[in-house]
Amino acid sequence: MKKVSMLTWTIIVLFSIGVICSATLALAEPRGKVTIFHAGSLSVPFEAMEKAFEAQYPQVDLQREAGGSTKCARKIADLKKPCDIMASADYTVIDKLLIPNYADWNIRFATNQLVLCYTNKSAYADKITKKNWYEILQRKGVIWGHSDPNLDPCGYRSLMVMQLAEKHYKKPGLYDKLLANRPKENIRPKSVELISLLQTGNMDYAWEYLSVAVQHDLKYIMLPDEINLGNYQYDDFYSQAVVQVTGEQPGTVMEMKGQSCTYGVTLIKGAPNREAAIAFLEYLLDPQGGLQILKEMGQPPFVPCRVPTENMKALVPAELQKLVEAKD
Amino acid sequence: MKVREPFFWIIISCGAVIMAFILLPLIEMMTAPSLAMLMETIKDKDVVRSIWLSVYTAGSAALISFVLGTPLAYLLARTNFMGKRLVEGIVDLPIAIPHPVVGIAILSVAGKNHWLGQALSELGVRIMGSVAGIIVVLTFVGLPFYLNAVKNGFESISPRLEKVSRSLGAPMFSTFLRITFPLAWRSMLIGLIMCCARAISEFGAVVIVAYHPMIAPVMIYERFEAFGLKYSQPVAVWLVFISLILFLLLRILTVRKKQVA
Repeated sequence: MKKVSMLTWTIIVLFSIGVICSATLALAEPRGKVTIFHAGSLSVPFEAMEKAFEAQYPQVDLQREAGGSTKCARKIADLKKPCDIMASADYTVIDKLLIPNYADWNIRFATNQLVLCYTNKSAYADKITKKNWYEILQRKGVIWGHSDPNLDPCGYRSLMVMQLAEKHYKKPGLYDKLLANRPKENIRPKSVELISLLQTGNMDYAWEYLSVAVQHDLKYIMLPDEINLGNYQYDDFYSQAVVQVTGEQPGTVMEMKGQSCTYGVTLIKGAPNREAAIAFLEYLLDPQGGLQILKEMGQPPFVPCRVPTENMKALVPAELQKLVEAKD
Repeated sequence: MKVREPFFWIIISCGAVIMAFILLPLIEMMTAPSLAMLMETIKDKDVVRSIWLSVYTAGSAALISFVLGTPLAYLLARTNFMGKRLVEGIVDLPIAIPHPVVGIAILSVAGKNHWLGQALSELGVRIMGSVAGIIVVLTFVGLPFYLNAVKNGFESISPRLEKVSRSLGAPMFSTFLRITFPLAWRSMLIGLIMCCARAISEFGAVVIVAYHPMIAPVMIYERFEAFGLKYSQPVAVWLVFISLILFLLLRILTVRKKQVA
């Protein structure tokens, strides 16, 4: 009898310790608002992640602002807008505009590729194929467009795909001929804005990321790996495509070289809510968490996610170390 | 010396807060770019073109509002009919709709999927990415401001004056031209200024319908995104400056003519 009561006491004590511990854990749980600036093409998967993450951490409120990746970086670097996490559709934007002043590291977490989107009502919708798309786009009366190469990585990537098509299909002059049939008026700041033009019948074809096409139920032409900027094994071939975009100030230009579409994410230095931001990053980079959602949305993730060097890996917060590998 | 009541000081301090609220950020923005930067910006042909396009399209929107809106404003001021409240509500609708939605709505009737868009494209009129498209958007957002100002103007004129004219045998049109218009033209001018001011500041709806050709607000946005604050501010300063001069000129014109009359 005495033994039983000892056991009971032990259980009660252990149980109380457990309760106290979990109570303190709950108090230490991340809370408050986390601001995320992210590329427009991440809106749909990030919305799904926001729901799942907030269900897991009810105390945290994710506040997302979607925009062109460069604009997001400008908001941080020029406007000094408080922000915890920045996710870019072109990981080099983080390298160029945020490191070293506003961020220390840059994790590559997912990929994408370019496709040519259209609807049932597009001109030649019943004729276009993987083989003849570049002939259709040269036809008179076909209205097609892409986003602004100076503002949106999807814009210069669209141009790169057409440059690579010239090389891949061995059709000299193809790039110029295509652009001759695309008046400046068909350009939009962000690629996602082209979708409403497609859906309202103001435009026949638009260059988009695969993810955007999947998420908006658009019809699309998938292009060979050699030109779709989706397979990093072709990075050498991609690098032959060079597009001039506006540089640091009006009148100057800089060259963008073709590279596979690779999403990058970083934690902003002096993040207002670092703890909760890291909790979200842990979820985002988790193969069973955010990466799974990305996979479903047409943005194949890297498992595990990558940083270019061991040196950079050392700068990544301890909680995220296990989720990344150093691989160039 | 007369002792002011506390109420007086409350009024004064509220007024001061409002003045500071409006002026502080604007002055900060207007004074941020250097003079050299401003001069360099105004020499940029793209900037001049976009500001001119802004002035020109906003002016066109005001003119269209004047031609199409004046009769409706007159009707609303002078008559009572079933559903008048509904019509007034519809007139105010463009003020309440989020700007990007305005752009999408206009595009949705201008595309191939709509009979109107098809008819327009057969006529060779393109709304997407055209000056015509910009004017359509600006008229949409500016019209309510013109209509309401002019309606109030008409309402403040006694209908008896018109009745006297009609009873002396003047036809309706001539009564409007010789009695109502001379009394209401000032409110029309104010309506035009309001409409123009609203139109020149529109961004959200325009950028959806037409990115190129660029009106000044779109260019300010593009410069901000591509080059940052430093290069977008001077364009903004010039736009504010030129609008200010235009509106001041219009106001001065009104005052002078009134004195002559």
